[in-house]
Amino acid sequence: MLAEFSDPAALLHGAEKIHCEGYTRFDCHSPFPVHGMDEAMGLTRSPLGYIVFVFGLLGAIGGFFLQTWVHTKAYPLTYAGKPYFSWQAFIIVTFGLMVLAGALSSVLGLFHLSKLPRLFDGLFYSERFAKVSDDGFFISVDVKDPRFDCTETHRFLESIGAINIEVIKSE
Amino acid sequence: MSLLNHIPKQSADAPLDIAVPMFEDAPLISGNQSFASVTNRIAGVVEGPTPKMWWVLFSFSVSLLMVLVGSVGFLVWEGTGIWGLNNPVGWGWAIVNFVFWVGIGHAGTLISAVLHLFRQKWRTSINRFAEAMTIFAVICALLFPTIHVGRVWVLYWFFPIPNQMSMWPNFRSPLLWDVFAVSIYFTVSLLFWYVGLVPDIATLRDRAKTRAKKIIYGILSLGWRGANRHWRHYELGYLILAGLSTPLVLSVHSVVSTDFATSIVPGWHTTIFPPYFVAGAIFSGFAMVMTLAIIARKAFHMEDFITINHLEKMAKIIMVTGLMVGYAYSMEFFISWYSGNEFEKFAFINRAFGPYAWAYWIMISCNVIIPQMFWSKKLRTNVAVLFVLSIFVNIGMWFERFVIIASSLSRDYLPSSWDYYSPTIWDISTLIGSFGLFFTLFLLFLRFLPMISMAEIKGVLPQANPHHTMYDKPGVAHQSR
Amino acid sequence: MSDKPKPMKFPPKAFQLDPDGENLIDSAHGKSYWRSYDQLANSPEFQTFLENEFPPGTMDLPNKLSRKKFLSLMGASIALAGLTACRRPVEKIIPYVNAPEEIIPGVSKNYASTMPFGTNALGIVVETHEGRPTKIEGNPLHSSSMGSANAFMQASILNLYDPDRSQAPSRKGYEVRWEDFTAFWNEQLTAFDAVAGEGLSLLSSAFASPTLFRLKTEFLSKFPKATWTVFDPVSDERIYQGIELASRQKLQPVHHFESAAIVLSLDSDFLFLDSNNVANSRRFSQARRIMSEKDSMNRLYAVESGFTVTGAMADHRLKVPSAQIMNFTIELAKELQNLGIPVEVDLPTSSLTVGRDHITWIKALAVDLATHKSKSIVLAGYRQPAEVHALVFAINDALRNNGKTITCYHPEHTANSSVTEYQKLVDDLGKGSVKTLVILGGNPAYTANENGEFLKGLNRVEHTIHFTDRENETAQNCEWHLPVSHFMESWGDAVSFDGTLSVIQPMIAPLFDSHSLTEIYSLLSTGELTPGFDLVQSTWREKLISGNFEQVWHHVLHDGVFSGSNYQAVRPALKNKNIFTKSEISEQNLPGLECVFIPSSSLWDGEFSNNSWLMENPDPVTKVAWDNVAVMSHSTAAKYHLKNKEIAKFTADGKSISCPVWILPGQADSTVTFSLGYGRTASGRIGNKVGVNAYKFKPLDSDIRQGVRVTGTGRFQIIACTQDHHGLDADKLAADAIHKRLPAILREASLDEYRLNPGFVKEVVEEPDLFSLWKDKSYDKGFQWGMSVDLNVCTGCNACSIACQSENNIPVVGKDQVERGREMAWIRLDRYFSGDLEDPEMVFQPIACQHCEMAPCEQVCPVTATVHTDEGLNAMVYNRCVGTRYCANNCPYKVRRYNFYNFTKDLPEIVKIAQNPDVTVRFRGVMEKCTFCVQRINQEKLRAKNNHQDLKDGDIVTACQQTCPTDAIVFGNINDPDSRISKLKKQNRDYALLGELNVRPRTTYMAKIRNQNSALNKNHFEKHIQ
Repeated sequence: MLAEFSDPAALLHGAEKIHCEGYTRFDCHSPFPVHGMDEAMGLTRSPLGYIVFVFGLLGAIGGFFLQTWVHTKAYPLTYAGKPYFSWQAFIIVTFGLMVLAGALSSVLGLFHLSKLPRLFDGLFYSERFAKVSDDGFFISVDVKDPRFDCTETHRFLESIGAINIEVIKSE
Repeated sequence: MSLLNHIPKQSADAPLDIAVPMFEDAPLISGNQSFASVTNRIAGVVEGPTPKMWWVLFSFSVSLLMVLVGSVGFLVWEGTGIWGLNNPVGWGWAIVNFVFWVGIGHAGTLISAVLHLFRQKWRTSINRFAEAMTIFAVICALLFPTIHVGRVWVLYWFFPIPNQMSMWPNFRSPLLWDVFAVSIYFTVSLLFWYVGLVPDIATLRDRAKTRAKKIIYGILSLGWRGANRHWRHYELGYLILAGLSTPLVLSVHSVVSTDFATSIVPGWHTTIFPPYFVAGAIFSGFAMVMTLAIIARKAFHMEDFITINHLEKMAKIIMVTGLMVGYAYSMEFFISWYSGNEFEKFAFINRAFGPYAWAYWIMISCNVIIPQMFWSKKLRTNVAVLFVLSIFVNIGMWFERFVIIASSLSRDYLPSSWDYYSPTIWDISTLIGSFGLFFTLFLLFLRFLPMISMAEIKGVLPQANPHHTMYDKPGVAHQSR
Repeated sequence: MSDKPKPMKFPPKAFQLDPDGENLIDSAHGKSYWRSYDQLANSPEFQTFLENEFPPGTMDLPNKLSRKKFLSLMGASIALAGLTACRRPVEKIIPYVNAPEEIIPGVSKNYASTMPFGTNALGIVVETHEGRPTKIEGNPLHSSSMGSANAFMQASILNLYDPDRSQAPSRKGYEVRWEDFTAFWNEQLTAFDAVAGEGLSLLSSAFASPTLFRLKTEFLSKFPKATWTVFDPVSDERIYQGIELASRQKLQPVHHFESAAIVLSLDSDFLFLDSNNVANSRRFSQARRIMSEKDSMNRLYAVESGFTVTGAMADHRLKVPSAQIMNFTIELAKELQNLGIPVEVDLPTSSLTVGRDHITWIKALAVDLATHKSKSIVLAGYRQPAEVHALVFAINDALRNNGKTITCYHPEHTANSSVTEYQKLVDDLGKGSVKTLVILGGNPAYTANENGEFLKGLNRVEHTIHFTDRENETAQNCEWHLPVSHFMESWGDAVSFDGTLSVIQPMIAPLFDSHSLTEIYSLLSTGELTPGFDLVQSTWREKLISGNFEQVWHHVLHDGVFSGSNYQAVRPALKNKNIFTKSEISEQNLPGLECVFIPSSSLWDGEFSNNSWLMENPDPVTKVAWDNVAVMSHSTAAKYHLKNKEIAKFTADGKSISCPVWILPGQADSTVTFSLGYGRTASGRIGNKVGVNAYKFKPLDSDIRQGVRVTGTGRFQIIACTQDHHGLDADKLAADAIHKRLPAILREASLDEYRLNPGFVKEVVEEPDLFSLWKDKSYDKGFQWGMSVDLNVCTGCNACSIACQSENNIPVVGKDQVERGREMAWIRLDRYFSGDLEDPEMVFQPIACQHCEMAPCEQVCPVTATVHTDEGLNAMVYNRCVGTRYCANNCPYKVRRYNFYNFTKDLPEIVKIAQNPDVTVRFRGVMEKCTFCVQRINQEKLRAKNNHQDLKDGDIVTACQQTCPTDAIVFGNINDPDSRISKLKKQNRDYALLGELNVRPRTTYMAKIRNQNSALNKNHFEKHIQ
């Protein structure tokens, strides 16, 4: 069930209310991130940071190990009379690989956490929903939500200021 | 950050504007825009008919690109001998162009990442194509080290991947650091850019008329539906990318500078290079953004989004970094004299008064003297002046790299092997061609992707703030529609 | 490699079987295909060539075809030559070092042979791989090479593989067979038998060879009325005349510089271009080399017009126009007489006005000579007139040098060049009294065609027959052209100045359809072709070897010399007081310039003009390659408003020549020096149309032309110069920097300064105490290779760079590339001037890879293409190199060379044969540099290992070290305290170039010492200029 709201403020209040009402499987859609929406929906902070940290660390360690191994074990060659293990020279590549691993993990992690790519979603059946990327503000409630009841929810959404409600059958 | 630390040393008033949130008075976006108008205005550029101007520019760029293809083809066929290189001067224009293009790239990341970290909302109008510029510039940059080697076909030996000799690269070589730094820089910039693009591509998808566009934009937007459960990850991911890019962008040109700084060639062997190269990179980068921004806002009438204020801020940054570069030039001289090292002393005196003096003074006038005009607000806010100056700055920065490379190599330790380097027609055609590559890519971007981040613009519109005064009385909103 | 020949196990198997006999195919005729023809076999060119072996006019192809096409054709033709002609010689030749039973494919063998050069014989050792010669070295047992070789000897191997040599006899441009000629010649013989040779003239180059001499005498006895003229464009004729004038004897002087304390060289380049220069350098260096400040060294005075290598070595040099050397000598003789030295010659009155202070100069010199009786040498260059040589003989006689430091011999088996006879021949030709003219070698149409008289005369001759190695300018004007084999394809013999006899062994059967001079000489008198081997053997059997012929013969072949065969020295006395016909020698101040003509340091008299190695080998003094220039001094150029590289027009006696000007400090004013040998038109793909033909301007009977007027044309020519690319117009900035740097780069002191302060070398440059931020790698185990270069004896003669080029397959890049600064020489000779601009001193510094222990090039290579070995070599891994050129940028010595193109792409097949199979040929885009001859190091290590021996000091000899005529380069294991190298590096003159960079080069230099006469002493660290 998809409810459209007039503006960010309305969407925010709507989100607060439906959250207090005890709905869990709902989501708010807006063309840009709306301030305070996470709190309104009762969402916690994204765990992405930890993922990136771990991968970045792995990248750094891996990179440093690779270079050390190459220059001390695989091919212990003399360059300009320098020691085989010259860590100073390895720092830059280590740092580079850390950033690379971090960046990749953050992007992949981001998509993973938000279950993207998902090219077809039920919501796309709605004509109005196309405005979500322009100036549309919506709340979608999933039918699988335990508190979902077609008429109930419909009325409730109207009560919190939805200006346009439609039911989308994704089958 | 180093940028901010340096600034107080350099200039009195410029940094203040950068450090504190700007535009308390002037609105970020002029023309009293609504969400819809923003979308229509920006997406409209992509959807609307192709302007004649675009075709003119595009065909010109493509012809230059063909020049590049030809020159590179002949180079690979015949050998690096077609360039003006000789025995003392083993690196010529190819490496000059490489450093030049990498430098250009920096401003993009700086604007999008660093300013994002500092919550500089004014970046939103220019960050998109600044990032695009970064990516295209880095593509051009990567081209040169690739083709300048003697045997292009074994280039993969640079990477730690299995090869017929089961050998590993030498991780001690600054050149290898380059390979890593620049290619990683390219990857991260690309990711950063793409992540930023996803919501806007979704917009294009939703507005797309033809099936083909629906499918293409549909795939590219990965099924983005503006859900807040996505936005929360998205915002953090974007922030993290910005956080990673910031040290990266500062490191990249430092690494490039180690190609020279870690060598023993007099005039290269100096510790000031890393910060000096970074400053120079930002300097030239912003100049290039300026050039492109002025072209873009003219060509697509984006004056409302890229306001004169944006340009002025960039002008200030250019002046600041220009001063830093000038400081580095003078410091080089001082240190070479102070070190008491005959070779170093000669290297720098030779730069200013030797056979390459002409190039040196072009560099000084373009990079140090001309930017001083930005002290005057009148000139800072005059688009024509800004345009011309930004081009001068880029000429100057190209010559900086030329002076460093050519003058140092042509006269190093043993006078017996001194020789003068001068480019051949192929050096020149390759440089010109690389601009063809750059502008071709850039024009394609302007045509098929939103040049300004709609989602972010909307985010900074007054009505985007749910706690904005206009929403205080319930119901007002309804009437307002 | 070529260590001392060990006495041979006798009788060696090789006498019975042909070395490499295993891969003979048609051993009955000793025909062995030592290289299989490659894919070319199926190429259309090849097929056409099979049908018709070399079609007439093959040699004109370059004018008609594109270079590529031409080369591919040549390639095919060579492949064919390989098929038809690449055979092992039929006769047995004796391995020099390796006993034949050890023949292993891939292992080189060294044979002793001899390179005839004018009337001298240079003992050589030839390295051959599976029967193809690849490298020439000096023969330590031979008195004229003493184990060393000069650039010409080194490069002569390339002449063997010259694709432009004519490949079959031809008559009037159409190919014929040798049989056709023998038939023709037999008719001629019968005709001339009747008239005892009336109207038959022969013109040959000078030679010193028992067999040739025997054949010549036989011919003349058969045809008493025939004339046999001997002529060379560059010869010692006037020296012989002078000595004869003074002593009434025909004598060949040999100078023993090793026992001379004072040497005065009068317009003579005895260390570089004058005859016997290899032995001279060797001997001179023995008296020059010092091991500590206590040692004594010889002192060299040079009086010359142009700056020569000898002048650069001189402790005192006085620039005097060549024409005034006579006046100088007379002044000197008078001064000596004043000092009571009995120079018993009636000296004419003369006057001399050169130099600033030549009076004091001569006084000091005279005193020095007078105080070193019988321990000094005075010698004059071949350019000087006979009177000067006579006077020099008298002076040496008065100083009692004759017999002590100078020995004279009665030359035998020798035919010397004579200009007068040649002029007579030209007259006869003009008169038409010559019916048949046979030209045996030489190229008079190019070298001696004054006023075109020779060619005019040639047209009046009925039959002209020319024996030479290529269709040169003369051959083109002759009816018959018959190819002469290269000396490495021929049997022959030769005698050196001191009479040492040696045999010329063929290393390879003739590549083309040619015959050796020996065979041709006998053909001329007998009318039939006798194998050269038999001819030589019969000479030796009859004339030279008494006793067990076989045994001695084999020893001669094995050692390369007939030990004990040298002449008895004679002790000539001064027999003639009035040398000078004129009673008054006026100061030769004719208006205008004097032009001096010298043999080119690269092309000699033109003989080597198609030799790409030499062509690209820069002149030691001017550093100009691929051109000859008119060398003149600053003030002369200024006087005539000429600029460097400006083409100037020189005119005199109705003759004129246009040549680019080259301004050289130290050149005598109003003297212009031209190099001969350039401007060839029928030399080959390399030598044609390079430079200007100075013979056109040279008087036939003199090497000096006076009263020359010059005008600038305002046109400039591109000159490829390997150093000093800005020339002398380099900005003051650079000049000052060089002035500051030079004392540290090339450390130098006078002997007195050195004795006063033996540690001066260390004090020249203030070195910070050198330390590194990490624990240094220790190189204290095993072999640690190092090199030492003694700048005190290095003459800068370039022999090392050609030896290196031959050993290491270094490509030739051509004038354009050299001009762009892309020459490939692994070892170059840096030349610097020091002192005052008009009268400077010149110094040379050989620079190859210094094999730094902390090599800056290594750490910057991204792909591990250059790393350090445990033996301290800076290794270059060609097949790993990607070609970033970063290493070259980071090399402070700029010794790394980069293959900007595929320089070996267009190399004709036959030239590829000349390459050393032990060294990789580098592809384009690859960096290369000196490897300390790593292939030689490994060969010797393997040899020692296989023979279960230890590697001895001196077993490993690098190519440059081996060839160095002054033994300036020493290579060895610095880890062995007793090795020669470690002893040298311990000396107080030893210093590391740019040592203050703490790169720890393995090559170090020993400072140059000039033994200056305190009466003339000059401060050495005064203003330096490049």
